[in-house]
Amino acid sequence: MARTLRELRPVRVVGIGLHRYQRAGDTPYVTLGLTAVREALADAGLQWRDVESVYNGTAMLGMAPTRPMLRHLGATGIPMAQVENASASGSTAFAQACLEVASGISDVALAMGVDKPGPMAIAGAKAGIRDLVGARVAPFTHFALLSNEYMHRYGVRPEQVAQVAVKNSRNGAANPYAQRQKVRSLEEVLAPPQISGTLTRLQCCPIGEGAAAVIVASDDAIRRLGLAASRAPRVLASVTRTESVYPGAKNFDAELTSETTSLAYEQAGVGPQDLDLIECHDAFAVEELLYVEAMGLCGEGEGAAMLANGDTAIGGRCAVSASGGLLSMGHPIGPTGAGQICELTRQLRGEAGPRQQPEARTGLAHMVGIGAVCVVHVLQRD
Amino acid sequence: MPELERQVAHPGLYRASGEQPALIGQHCTGCGHLAFPPNPYGCEACGAQPEALEKRELAGAGELAAFATVHLHMGGGIEAPFTVGVIVLDDGPAVRATLTCPTDDGLAIGDRVSSVLVSQGSDDEGTETVELRFIPHSSGSAEDSRVRGEA
Ligand SMILES: [Zn+2]
Repeated sequence: MARTLRELRPVRVVGIGLHRYQRAGDTPYVTLGLTAVREALADAGLQWRDVESVYNGTAMLGMAPTRPMLRHLGATGIPMAQVENASASGSTAFAQACLEVASGISDVALAMGVDKPGPMAIAGAKAGIRDLVGARVAPFTHFALLSNEYMHRYGVRPEQVAQVAVKNSRNGAANPYAQRQKVRSLEEVLAPPQISGTLTRLQCCPIGEGAAAVIVASDDAIRRLGLAASRAPRVLASVTRTESVYPGAKNFDAELTSETTSLAYEQAGVGPQDLDLIECHDAFAVEELLYVEAMGLCGEGEGAAMLANGDTAIGGRCAVSASGGLLSMGHPIGPTGAGQICELTRQLRGEAGPRQQPEARTGLAHMVGIGAVCVVHVLQRD
Repeated sequence: MPELERQVAHPGLYRASGEQPALIGQHCTGCGHLAFPPNPYGCEACGAQPEALEKRELAGAGELAAFATVHLHMGGGIEAPFTVGVIVLDDGPAVRATLTCPTDDGLAIGDRVSSVLVSQGSDDEGTETVELRFIPHSSGSAEDSRVRGEA
């Protein structure tokens, strides 16, 4: 019979590390990745030889980037695999590492992500099925269409959607790992260039380079290696879903998030009212409103009001994208999902400094990948 | 015959003729699922094999469910700005298509739209390429006539 993560042995996050997300430059991906992994090892108090396997989320580097990078930590012969799931690559790497530790195959596993912008050859375009618009509808136009429909349905104005980017710029400004570290006013967010529909540049995430690393371990390993259990939140749920066939013109992004989150709540034994923070796939501003509703944080059409009254700000009922989200922290693709786990862990430990969500105990990470994939994790400190 | 010298920009997705050209959809004889665009592989609703899938013409008429003026894109055959829409066809499926109006001024969700063939220009041999777009009925009509390259 199929089992969930929660029914297997506990998995905890013991170490986190990042290389700042930044505009693409000359830094080799090896430097990006090693920086994140070394920081995660130091954070956990682990040696490289303690790590038993690696899943590396990457989408744009090309074939087999992991071993040429990690051999510089000392070639210990451990299994390594690249994981590609579009924007959810790092989330899927984390899911795989969790399953491996939960199943007992490994005691300590590294999930990471590293990417530099490169040719994005999306395989779906080669599937042999043509549509009427092709690349005329880029991802930002997909979300511009959803924005238009959302604003019409609930009587929400473009400025209310743009406030997502204003809030997340505030959070990103307090995050030394963020690509955008500037507080932006509503006026700045609404300023041209216009990209598609009501979406302006600052309502679209920047795609740069960076790396994120998360080390997960079993309770056995935590005892054996003398790690700090108090700084190691447990992974309560790991759920991945793909899009189904939804009737008519239904918003499949929101439907998919709703389905995936519901399963994660069930697996974790928590509900939306228990969440202290969420790292949300806010690649485009409207997504945060769609998804907080789909996750059941508020009713349909109430996302903008929830944002306006501060419920999703740091210090509010449930901080959404305290890291700055994809909009401000950035979206280097491979690392993004792993970076969300870094932020949740830092927050649940109470180590997030100026962007700390008070009393954070339970957090949820949510990523969407083209294809259409949704990955949700729930973490909780004891 | 001028009709013979036209080719469609997206073969297999719509007819190259007619006042309100039909879209080529796909009906699953296994479960009744009606889809656009058609695929040669199998039914995404029930998994029926290609033999169970049959082409079905979908009337080029429907209602606008969403729209956006695009300023940036990587697609071909058009210069920004242009407007794309989600159209729920009267026959059921929702499709995404380019609208005949360059901007969304005057458009509203719920507007009736219908399909129209727009010229994409001709090659050296005089063969004209046409693509299917949607023209709004209730608004933006001043712009429609400008863009609707009559052959
Ligand atoms: Zn079927």
